[in-house]
Amino acid sequence: MTEIANGPQVTKITRPPKLRIIPPLNFCPVEHQLYRSGQPNIINQSFLEDLNLKTIVWLATEEPQEEFLDFCSQHNVNLEFVGMINDYNYNYNSNINPWDTLNDVTITRSLEIIANKENYPLLVCCGMGRHRTGTVIGCLRRLQNWNLASVSEEYRRFTGAKGGRIQVELLIESFDISVIEVKEETAPEFLVEYRT
Amino acid sequence: MGDFSEDPFQMDDDFSASLHIASSYSDPIDNFTAATDQAQIRSRLAVLDLEQFPEDADDAFDEGEHKKATEMAQASLVNQPNHPLTPPENFAPVVNNIYRSSFPQTTNFSFLERLKLKSILCLIPEDYPDTHHQFLKNQDIKLFQLGLSGNKEPFVVISHELITEALKIVLDPANQPILIHCNRGKHRTGCVVGILRRLQQWSLTIIFDEYRRFAAPKERPMDQQFIELYNQTEIVSFCQERNYLPLSWD
Repeated sequence: MTEIANGPQVTKITRPPKLRIIPPLNFCPVEHQLYRSGQPNIINQSFLEDLNLKTIVWLATEEPQEEFLDFCSQHNVNLEFVGMINDYNYNYNSNINPWDTLNDVTITRSLEIIANKENYPLLVCCGMGRHRTGTVIGCLRRLQNWNLASVSEEYRRFTGAKGGRIQVELLIESFDISVIEVKEETAPEFLVEYRT
Repeated sequence: MGDFSEDPFQMDDDFSASLHIASSYSDPIDNFTAATDQAQIRSRLAVLDLEQFPEDADDAFDEGEHKKATEMAQASLVNQPNHPLTPPENFAPVVNNIYRSSFPQTTNFSFLERLKLKSILCLIPEDYPDTHHQFLKNQDIKLFQLGLSGNKEPFVVISHELITEALKIVLDPANQPILIHCNRGKHRTGCVVGILRRLQQWSLTIIFDEYRRFAAPKERPMDQQFIELYNQTEIVSFCQERNYLPLSWD
């Protein structure tokens, strides 16, 4: 109580506990040098440094936290704001609803980034690493010629107790993968292999 | 759940302490050793009277079910020559060239071929079906088999020694790319991956979160306790001698 009387003593946790590496929420490797997760926090910094990321695909509609932006500029990580494309391209201006799913344009843009090995090591993330990230990774799996049931199983593994959204799975199923060009010279090894 | 007549936190037991690890692909002597090991595990398990604690339906390897799935899969392949790739359930990369999954079915073979596996670590005591042996032979994949019994309250617990052996196999670059699997890819595989994450110095909270993601909806507190309480001294010094640590992302 005395502390409160003297003014609030807010201490921000800026470091992980000793000898504990903390990956971001819902972190998982997807393919070689391709990772997925929820929004990284300041406590994930030392873990992120180990990944030597070159690019982060940001799928959420809201701006990332300030510390995260700082981290990206300090480590020369190229941050791609794919989730906010609606905003810039179509001038929706208002009413950006975080509950809206991604659409063909945003998925295509994300997959184009993923299909270029120049961008690796690469992290795909959104707020919680569930639905938006799941949509893009799901479409990537279809591009890799996975069957839809396996895609759905993987998507649902990351959605937590509330489970998967049918809307997301419909989007994954209906996405036209033929619009994504996989070029042998520029695509990462795992994509070239799966196509041949 | 029955009464605990033993300390519920006692995680170790000795029924596999003196086992040797044998890969099933080598000369007949090794196969003989493997068979002896199997017999030894079984005899120790028999002493525990496992009937009293039937395995979780999910964890038990059902040969009939497996045969049926194989036949169905082969039938569907005939109808569908250019079939889409099917990863095994619960498949995911762990770190670098280490992968995890449930028991692979014949439908998963075309997917697994693309991983260019050098070896597979199987954590269930049952023998591999012939179809699988054939696949391993064709792909020149070495099979390591460690018959782990899952953490079943109150008496059947995962052996610390076997987990240490499992990690020694997994972390050896000579065996990679390697796939770790048990039956469902939930509990036994989850424990091995959990310990591996400890070697990466991940926070326990995150390790548990990953364990639960793959084990859902059958998470076991015992497995999480196991991951936390496992004594990693031996495996850490093993890794340090060989410069395996830190396990960095390539």
